[in-house]
Amino acid sequence: MIKFPGLPDKSKSLLNDRSVILALLILVISIALSLLTPAFLSSRNLTFVVTGMTYDLLMALGMTVVLLLWGIDLSVGSVLGLTAVVTTMLLQDGAAIPLAIGLGLGVSALCGAINGFFVAYLKIAPFIVTLGMMSVARGIATVLTSGYFVSGLPDAYKAIGQGRLFNVPYMVYIALVAVVILALLLRNWRPLREAFYIGTNPEAARLTGIRVAMITMGGYIFCSLMAGSAAIFMTSRLSMGFFQFGLGAELKAIAAAVIGGASLRGGTGSVIGTTLAVFLLALINNGFVLLKGSPNAQNVIMGGILVVAIMIDAYRRRDRDEN
Amino acid sequence: MPPALEAKSINKSFGSHRVLHDVSFAVQAGEVHALVGENGAGKSTLMNIIGGIHTRDAGELLLKGQAIDPADVWQARQLGISVVFQELSLTPNMTVAQNIFVRREPTKALGMIDWQRLNADAQALFEQIGVEISPTELVGNYSVGIQQIIEIAKAISFDAEVIIMDEPTSALSESEVDRLFGIIADLKAQGVAIVFISHKLGEVFRIADRISVLRDGEMVGVTKPADSSPDEIIRMMVGRSFDDLYPPKGVVGDEVILEVRELSHPPLFHDISFSLRKGEILGIAGLVGAGRTEVARAIFGADSYSSGSIALAGERLDIKSPREAIEKGIVYLTEDRKVMGLFLSMTMRENIVSAALGRFVGALGILRHKEIAAESGRAMQRNDIRPRDDLLSVNSLSGGNQQKSLLAKCLSANPKALLADEPTRGVDVGAKVKIHQALRDLANHGVGVIVISSELPEVLGLSDRVIVFREGRISAILAGDNISQAEVMRHAVQ
Repeated sequence: MIKFPGLPDKSKSLLNDRSVILALLILVISIALSLLTPAFLSSRNLTFVVTGMTYDLLMALGMTVVLLLWGIDLSVGSVLGLTAVVTTMLLQDGAAIPLAIGLGLGVSALCGAINGFFVAYLKIAPFIVTLGMMSVARGIATVLTSGYFVSGLPDAYKAIGQGRLFNVPYMVYIALVAVVILALLLRNWRPLREAFYIGTNPEAARLTGIRVAMITMGGYIFCSLMAGSAAIFMTSRLSMGFFQFGLGAELKAIAAAVIGGASLRGGTGSVIGTTLAVFLLALINNGFVLLKGSPNAQNVIMGGILVVAIMIDAYRRRDRDEN
Repeated sequence: MPPALEAKSINKSFGSHRVLHDVSFAVQAGEVHALVGENGAGKSTLMNIIGGIHTRDAGELLLKGQAIDPADVWQARQLGISVVFQELSLTPNMTVAQNIFVRREPTKALGMIDWQRLNADAQALFEQIGVEISPTELVGNYSVGIQQIIEIAKAISFDAEVIIMDEPTSALSESEVDRLFGIIADLKAQGVAIVFISHKLGEVFRIADRISVLRDGEMVGVTKPADSSPDEIIRMMVGRSFDDLYPPKGVVGDEVILEVRELSHPPLFHDISFSLRKGEILGIAGLVGAGRTEVARAIFGADSYSSGSIALAGERLDIKSPREAIEKGIVYLTEDRKVMGLFLSMTMRENIVSAALGRFVGALGILRHKEIAAESGRAMQRNDIRPRDDLLSVNSLSGGNQQKSLLAKCLSANPKALLADEPTRGVDVGAKVKIHQALRDLANHGVGVIVISSELPEVLGLSDRVIVFREGRISAILAGDNISQAEVMRHAVQ
């Protein structure tokens, strides 16, 4: 049987089975929602869904790369919060916009580099390292703001998240471009191809001459940078920074990546799968809101979906390993 | 008296693929019954059915004449059938004693485990079979060879009436094999029935009372060693004969490819000096644990060494990682293909080119997939890997083809010096011949090849010169056509 992902081959379709299943699910839910409530197909609602999923998408893409490397990053939500706070505080103090964004992203990259260094070079379990970072980053964000909102942002900055082209926010286009680029890189770029080897068998990868530590560290930096980018979009769209931004985002990102085809046991992951999974989760959320479900029950559903996704992953892995 | 164990007309298919067809097999109490056949002939499947791992589609299992139907390994063991697995079933993070008595720990009041007795029982077991292994050491700290002995001790500890050993010697050195055979003789004297699965016909003829031959899922015949010969058995196994297992030796050049000087890393190895010449196959013999693998890994940069020097084609090297070694042209073929060599769930193509991606990368690190596909196709052809579809995952291949894939992976890195560690471990005769030929072809093309092997006939048949390791030191460097197994063994143990 042919396992996905293999090195791309012309005879192989761009979509794997899982993507087809996800696309069908999306179609079914969309049809159901449009029949159940006319509000679903309104352009206002659709724009709302697509915009809202941008943050999740960016973070799920980063998570896909980390899971591919047989890692996990629990700190993405906190890194989002920290980046949001740092960037907006700099802007409030009158820093130039590129400088504020650059420093904000720099902080997120630093968080990723610290995660990556501990995991790749000091060989500490990623779960522990990123759990620590989750607490530290959120803690710093809290201390910096004393729990207050950061507002008073320049209009030019707000335009990043609020500007629209054809009535769709810029950031949606940017996220889609990120999807396409990452999908191409994951198939064709040597370091990311090598990530598949690392995630499948790190010791064999080392003995094969692959720069395991360097690529692993790069994966964590990339993942944090995606969380940082989400923070820029979120703060500019909402015109403020807040230390609680991104709370619980790691769960959504992990759920989406795993539903999309990544395994907690490394070695697999698909950009298209992750993208479709993010969209699917966004639709489920939206349906919940439109059908007037209790917002409190939403977390129950998200958690349930995550557990089911991981269960499916476990069964799939058993099939793979038993071979 | 009925046989200790009898399998009657066993049938088994995996999907549409029929693995066993009407296979009958019997072993008597106090008998060593060897089961031989090429990889894929169905030996392991038959034993897995007897041991309760697979279920049969049709047929009967009789233990001392009583029909049995073991549902899993545990039940089979309770019935008195113990399988020593080819793939070790030990947990590296637990101690030796904990592994042996898992699920059978002696208890004190309130179900608390009696650790003292647990360790004492393990100690007694090792004394009974005459080996020195610490019950309280973690299994992961022992070499694969010792782990194999622990695995065998575990099987014995069940007071089994039938012990099935699946390739028990594939990771053992000659002296460890002797010790195992002593253990087998003791068990036999106690009336235990032993099924001995092996590719090594020399061992089979030494130990077996009867030999059964499987080919393509059918029982081809049962014979006694005295009435047969290894050649005849090979003919029965493959349906044809192999005139020569080893390719003719080549012409060794004068040019030194790899020069190792006084390499030391106490306590693993000391003062290792040798030179490998262009076109040469240099065999390294010695017991498991003599430091052979450790030296090879140090040369390859996989582990560090304390002092000494390594030079490739006259250039002094300071290699700190396998990546640097591969860039320079030193490639190591690992002894443990599943754990350290192959990416099992990935495709053959991805495996074959994994060490050579640098050759197929264009601007900005973008891979050239057409060239990768072409290289992989050539390697599949050259190494005769089957099935000839490089988009299949490696774990769907037989052991022999996996090993050929591992060799193909090493070769695609274009080595100047290849360090092959147990290059034919656990593969069938056909694949063995192919791998030997491939190594000799490589040498004939000017590559220096080091072959580390625990199979003396292989080292002697393949090598131009033989280095013998003993306790981390080189005890002899032998050359010439008439090196004898006895001579090598003498240097390995004395």
